[in-house]
Amino acid sequence: MPSFEESDPAPISPSPAPELPSSQVHPATVSPTKHQKENDQDDDDFIPENKTKDDDGDQKMIFDDDNEEPELKSSTSEIEKPSIIQQSKPSSSKSSSSTTTTTSTKYKPSSADMKHYYERYLPFKSIFLWLNHSPAPQTDFTMREFAFEYKSGAYHRYNSFSNVSEFKSTVLKAEPTRFEIGAVYPIEPKLRKQVSKNVMKPQMKEFVLDIDLTDYDDIRTCCSGTSICEKCWKFINIAIEIIDVALKNDFGFKHLLWVFSGRRGCHCWISDYRARVMDENIRRSVIEYLDVLHVKGSKKSNGGVASLNMFRKPYHPHIERSLEVLKDQFIDVVIREQDPWRHEDRYEDLARAVPDYRLTNALMKYWKTTTDRSSADKWLDVDKYYQNLKIQSFDLQDWKKEMIFKTMYPRLDVEVSRQMIHLLKSPFCVHPGTGNVCIPFDPSKEKFNPLTAPNLQTLFNEDEEHVENTSLQPSIDLFNKYVRELMKEELSKKRTRDESKENLEF
Amino acid sequence: MFRKVKRKTDGRRNFDDRDTSFDTSVGAGGFHDDLAQYPHRLSFYKLPPMEEVTLEEFETWAIDRLKVLLEIESCSARSMTFKETEQVMEKMLAKYLPLNVPSKESSSLYQERKKDHYSHFILRLAFCRSEELRRRFVKAETTLFKLRYNMLSMTEQRNFVNSLDLPWVAATEEEKTKFESQLYACSYSSVRALLRAGSASGVKITDDQVRQYLKHQTFYKLPFEYVPDLLAMRTAFLHQGYVYVGQFQQSSLIISEYSKFLKEQLDLTVRGLPGLDEDDRLVPVLNNLSKGYISAEYNDGGNSSNGEDSEVNSENVNTFLSDMPLCMQRLMEGVSVNHHLKYGGRQQLAFFLKGIGLSADEALKFWRNQFTKSMSAERFNKDYKYNFRHNYGLEGGRINYKPWDCKTIMNKPNPTKSEYHGCPYRDLHRDELLVMLGKLGLEGNRSTDDVLDLSNRGEYQAACTKVFELVNRDNIDYALKTKSGNVDQSSIVHPNQYFDRSRYLKKLREGTVGKGAESQSGESQSIATQ
Repeated sequence: MPSFEESDPAPISPSPAPELPSSQVHPATVSPTKHQKENDQDDDDFIPENKTKDDDGDQKMIFDDDNEEPELKSSTSEIEKPSIIQQSKPSSSKSSSSTTTTTSTKYKPSSADMKHYYERYLPFKSIFLWLNHSPAPQTDFTMREFAFEYKSGAYHRYNSFSNVSEFKSTVLKAEPTRFEIGAVYPIEPKLRKQVSKNVMKPQMKEFVLDIDLTDYDDIRTCCSGTSICEKCWKFINIAIEIIDVALKNDFGFKHLLWVFSGRRGCHCWISDYRARVMDENIRRSVIEYLDVLHVKGSKKSNGGVASLNMFRKPYHPHIERSLEVLKDQFIDVVIREQDPWRHEDRYEDLARAVPDYRLTNALMKYWKTTTDRSSADKWLDVDKYYQNLKIQSFDLQDWKKEMIFKTMYPRLDVEVSRQMIHLLKSPFCVHPGTGNVCIPFDPSKEKFNPLTAPNLQTLFNEDEEHVENTSLQPSIDLFNKYVRELMKEELSKKRTRDESKENLEF
Repeated sequence: MFRKVKRKTDGRRNFDDRDTSFDTSVGAGGFHDDLAQYPHRLSFYKLPPMEEVTLEEFETWAIDRLKVLLEIESCSARSMTFKETEQVMEKMLAKYLPLNVPSKESSSLYQERKKDHYSHFILRLAFCRSEELRRRFVKAETTLFKLRYNMLSMTEQRNFVNSLDLPWVAATEEEKTKFESQLYACSYSSVRALLRAGSASGVKITDDQVRQYLKHQTFYKLPFEYVPDLLAMRTAFLHQGYVYVGQFQQSSLIISEYSKFLKEQLDLTVRGLPGLDEDDRLVPVLNNLSKGYISAEYNDGGNSSNGEDSEVNSENVNTFLSDMPLCMQRLMEGVSVNHHLKYGGRQQLAFFLKGIGLSADEALKFWRNQFTKSMSAERFNKDYKYNFRHNYGLEGGRINYKPWDCKTIMNKPNPTKSEYHGCPYRDLHRDELLVMLGKLGLEGNRSTDDVLDLSNRGEYQAACTKVFELVNRDNIDYALKTKSGNVDQSSIVHPNQYFDRSRYLKKLREGTVGKGAESQSGESQSIATQ
């Protein structure tokens, strides 16, 4: 691997500013959080994003504090134009983005494509307004952390920009495969070396949610790992339906932005002022409120008696409401389409989930002898045996509700939501593995279909120069509308906030 | 921003109010024995102490409170329920930090409240110096506060709550009617428990009784930010950003307010600390106090107490399998079968191995040997090496991570099908667990039923302790018979404690136990000797 500095120098400073070197130039820092996040998704994830480095890379990334500057300056000129490794146009290989762990066989958008996309398509101005909450740059934007991720796998944290043009020009120069959005800090993150470490505490960040189809692998049969299809995407749509109403009705949040994550999941950004100022403790409890399945004491792996506690009747209104949504779709989405308990390796899950040994054993025995009974049959077998064996240790209907809940309730990534320092890919970035654009969508209008989402290649075919003529434009319009509403509220709120502040102070 | 500002001035206003009353009481003849300073048995400790105390009082009061806090920590380390903790702590509190009911003689009341007040502030000074200390102090103090709040009478609770001035609005009757079923559903289990505790045992509580009870309850509306734990447990109704808190749930709210307040105060205290360094009488006392607090932690690998186990290396680590608790045996099995472990498993096992004395180089060798059977060395270096080096503090933030205790392990996400981490007593199905126990040589006798029972009831650490006793029965008997060593029979709360204890017993048997080996029997002892 080439040394780190050589491969990505440009991110560092938009314009060479020798008089301000230490503030502008930063070693790429490997963030432990980020690192863990990647690792959590584990090995099925495609690799270039992985933050792990070989020894050389490591040494550079950790020890570069003292010697970075000269090296960087000398190399800047050479690397202004990064070598374009892959010139080929993206092949339309969305469907073939099957799960392999090697990178070489996979399609990645070329550097040239990315550059063109950043230059002509990506709505920097809208993103700026969204994060800044006002037309003129203020600290909400200037003290916001951005992180760049490069083809080499390097990850560069703590970038910050003073205005939208710096934002755009830096991205254009650095050509990251994608950029991520972090928290607002008390100072500009790029100046962090000038202050003590404990000043760098995140102050504000949108509350974010991350739902990923890989977390559904124990129930989906159509795909696994990174691949998806319309059938299993239904789990995501269900998740959106449930989470969306909870965030709006229960928590009273108004500004929700659902974004396709580019491959196999989606993100939700909640930009309400009240959500942005939540501390980690409150973020944790909000996510725990929503994350019914992972609550402590739940037994995801054997689905046994202990989990009855969280479904204690009477059900909490949120559970009750979610159940209504899930109940209707269970037969179609799980039993018919996924048919998860047909085969031997999986029907055990169902039998074991029954909280009565006699019943479990009877079912196991029966299913072992009869091959190829569908999930629908087996779902009814439970009823039959329950009655035949005169089981009384648990209530069958309650158990069925629990099972429905366990198979379909949204599976959330708690750490992404809880940690304020966690970064999340920006809307309108391109997923480096698929070429899909991470577009925002409105779940109340129509169900999102990831297979028809705008892709870098389709976009360029539609119109190489003008984004207005492409299928990306509706998403941009949607985003702009969202940003306008947010800004409108922000301005009026800010006025009242300032007034009451004055009242208090004088 | 706005909320913070308001909060600050709130605090200041309280301060001012109290301050003036304070002044008048001084004017009226000094504040000695003046109970007006401590109007309630409980306190948020908003005002720092103003009077002089002797150095001896300073130290003994602080140590007494420290004993109480350490006991609270030990209760939570042993995963006691709140009820059990209450029982244990009642005696401790009566002995070290009594706060008697107001009917008693007022002079002793003043003295004990003063001791409570002063000792709290002394420990604030001692425990504000690191993030870790602050976190633990807030946690223990919050539990203490909760214990004491529950000891107050209803009237005292009400008076105390009213004195706090919190931003709650009573829900209107219309709202109560509109959300009747939701409020019922959310409060049901807590109200039932409350009613059951209040009535004779064996009496059944009907749903109607719960309804009746709720009818007369006042509900308060609060922004959800004020009651994070009610939110997380889904035991309160949440609508449009407001949580409906019943009067019976008030304690949760007050406790979280206290914990938040204390955290803010400690952050302020640490900034004021440098000014204190000039008083050379106090600094050593404070340093000693906080030191005693730290050593209750598990001592991880590489340090002297574990020195003799550095015989562990990448080659022979498998020979120590029988000394490992079930969770680690399972992980070891996972890695030797799949030549790979997912993230959660890697972390859990890697920290454990670090704890038993596997050095960073040896650990890397171990993982590389295993993993490269399923992948190229290049891939291992690219994707995993960093992770393992990071665990030893050789990368990134350079944190020297400690081996995980049971609680940490349980708090991680539960393992999915292809994962091996977590606690087998919690995560495995009965049948699988039985198979694993069989491999340990525990088969078909009544004791395995005990283990399964314990795991079924959710007493996972007790199940683990039981297994330890069964597996090491001979060695324990030997040690007890010959009275040759220190047999620690407390509950297992840490996988490395299991390992160390097992090694210690074996060495005892072999007669190779060294002088310093007592320290092997884990951290629970060091807590006990505090």
